[in-house]
Amino acid sequence: MKDMNCEEILIQKLALLDGEKAEFSAAQIDAHLADCENCRREIEPLENTIGLLNRQQRRVPDADLWPAVEKRIGASSAGGLTVKWQPFVLLGVLLVVYKLLEMIPERDFGWTLKIVPFVLIVAVFGFLKENPFKINSELILEK
Amino acid sequence: MMDDAAIIERCLKGEKDAFRFLVERYQAQAVGHSRAILSNREDALDATQEAFIDAFQALKKFDLTRRFYPWFYVLLRHRCYKLMAKKHEAENIDEAIIIAPQAGVSGEERIALERALRSLSSEDREIITLKYLDGFSYDEIAELLEIPRGTVMSRLFYARRQLQAKLTGKFHQKL
Repeated sequence: MKDMNCEEILIQKLALLDGEKAEFSAAQIDAHLADCENCRREIEPLENTIGLLNRQQRRVPDADLWPAVEKRIGASSAGGLTVKWQPFVLLGVLLVVYKLLEMIPERDFGWTLKIVPFVLIVAVFGFLKENPFKINSELILEK
Repeated sequence: MMDDAAIIERCLKGEKDAFRFLVERYQAQAVGHSRAILSNREDALDATQEAFIDAFQALKKFDLTRRFYPWFYVLLRHRCYKLMAKKHEAENIDEAIIIAPQAGVSGEERIALERALRSLSSEDREIITLKYLDGFSYDEIAELLEIPRGTVMSRLFYARRQLQAKLTGKFHQKL
């Protein structure tokens, strides 16, 4: 328990005025204030100041920081997902396996094996969400 | 709406763009807070921008069980005070930037209070505005400023005393 000196009483009284829990009871604080003219003289203008502050609101400023932050952290401007490396590793492994299967002598897997590269290419474009047949009108031919 | 922890998890998985949600969610509040510490808009914007970049770079250290803003506020005020030290507290006070005009509060009263707040030290102004303009509790302020609750109580007491001294003779005789 803290000492009930004048300063501590004022701190605890202001806590009560702020709707917070104080370390002394309201009755203890009021009893001290009833006896202490210095504290009473100090608390009144402080109560006015609190009343004045409680009538105010913080100004909410306009801000659009994302473009500058985005540039600094190196995020992609598309707003989409960052492409991860794992699918490309998987693609590489599948292509190596495909090539090894092709190299097995005297073994014919028929047309099913031949279409594997096409399936993989379609899967890559599907993953990247890109249309390989889209014409980019922004491209300019070099002369 | 996606919660802060989910956004941070996405950032940690490599989706840098997800950080945009945090910036857009907290930028106005953060600029408001940095403007209460610093004295002009440009410095406040710079400090807030740098704090967001600090936050992004420190996301790995973020405890996902905590709330984002109190953690971010520590970085924000560090940036504000660092910028202030660099500028040697060169006060360049622009327009009224802390208190919003509102119905029922006279312009004269608001301007006098704004001036009085401006004349306080940054630390006093910060704690008073967190308490009365944002309505944070003592416990929340203790978390934001990384100080014990008892220190919040005593610092608020001295800050209010300072503010009251600045206001004396301007309004109290009218109240």
